Amino acid sequence: MRATVGHAPNQANRPVTGIRQQPGTPEDELADRFRAGDELALREAYDRYGRAVLHLATSTLVNRSDAEDATQATFVAAWLGRETFDPAKGSLVGWLLGIGRRKVIDRLRSAARETRVVETVRQLPEPAPAGSDPDTVVDRLVVADELARLPDEQRRMLELAFFDDLTHQQIATVTGVPLGTVKSHIRRGMASLKRRWEVDGAAPGARPAGISGAR
Amino acid sequence: MQHLEHDRLVFLALGESEADTSDRTHLDACPHCQAELEGLRHVAGLGAASQELRELPDPPEHVWQGIMAEITEAKELPRLAADRQRPDPAGPVTTDAPPGPRRSRSGRWSRLATTAVTAVAAATVGVVGTAAVLRDGTPAEPTVVASAPLAAYGSTPPAAQGDARVLGTGELHLHVANLPAVPGYYEVWLINPRNMEMFSVGVLGDNSDVLLPLPPNVDLGQYSIVDVSAEEFDNDTAHSGDSLLRGSLTG
Repeated sequence: MRATVGHAPNQANRPVTGIRQQPGTPEDELADRFRAGDELALREAYDRYGRAVLHLATSTLVNRSDAEDATQATFVAAWLGRETFDPAKGSLVGWLLGIGRRKVIDRLRSAARETRVVETVRQLPEPAPAGSDPDTVVDRLVVADELARLPDEQRRMLELAFFDDLTHQQIATVTGVPLGTVKSHIRRGMASLKRRWEVDGAAPGARPAGISGAR
Repeated sequence: MQHLEHDRLVFLALGESEADTSDRTHLDACPHCQAELEGLRHVAGLGAASQELRELPDPPEHVWQGIMAEITEAKELPRLAADRQRPDPAGPVTTDAPPGPRRSRSGRWSRLATTAVTAVAAATVGVVGTAAVLRDGTPAEPTVVASAPLAAYGSTPPAAQGDARVLGTGELHLHVANLPAVPGYYEVWLINPRNMEMFSVGVLGDNSDVLLPLPPNVDLGQYSIVDVSAEEFDNDTAHSGDSLLRGSLTG
């Protein structure tokens, strides 16, 4: 039933946003159609990034139905405010996550208010069960997305370094790629990850001026 | 001062290299390289933590349905929401309200048309603030240019039915009842019975009433069939072939 656009739904190594950068399915084109009000682009954006937004919500909000509400609210707000999306200031997924972050923070704040009321009544200073920090989750998603978009070789080398904790020499041995080439892939890959984090990340310090355009 | 090479910072951040004395001396004295190293370390940490994000579950289907329902509703009601705040509801509704960010598609309607549309929306779409809009006086009924009773089509349960009215404002007002539940959504079409050419007029949400703008140049003499179809979320913009209701416009 569900449409799957731009990716095979159950492939073994599925990147966070459900896409590997593929020729013929450029992000820019999707972002343009989204901005122009093409409802198919909304579905496509949802297919690609719905998982990331839901993950942001479920890992920060305790209540599952709140998380689904926040995901829904994120896409509705993004669609209704699509004209405010500025591709010059970041990627579509970065913008969506910025909106998601605000939806999540709104809910966390109102939950905190309720908790305070309950505490006042009961005089029980029991802390609310805490989820992950939204900014960190957004940053992780952004970096994961960029990692998935790197050229295959760069991605492969970085994954071996990040996930398998291999030294560059070990990576060279495992892959048969010369050490100098390994180092150069890793250096370029890291530069791309850092740049992307600076553009689309949420944490203080990631960028000078907060999340652009997101409401 | 000579900065550390960027390669060097990357390898330090990844723990691939150990900082030697000269690295440390420079880093202690250079906020720029320090900040760069911090940033790279942070990104490396985020990268390492991203492994668990590779197999995220899909959102449940009802989240998408909620999104569709909300945006469909928002499409129908922006004007209504704006007019609700008007202090003098007895006066004629004018269109000098500041344009909201999402009213782009309503720009072509005239001031008069807006009045009528608002009235119809208030009278028929009982979702938001109906009482607020209606509390003063009864809005004039809009002119009906053509209408069609809609009947169950094909294997649709016969209880399904509806009415289509083309208003003088250039909108199609649809009222439906007892539509069978479908896994996707309902779409409204105008069909030319002579050659079966058709075009989509819009989507019918969960409400039993909807107002859809028609293209200003539509020839209702040709496109005289109103059709409501069951569509799936399959990225196929063509008619699914599964018609639930049909009726022929007469004016």
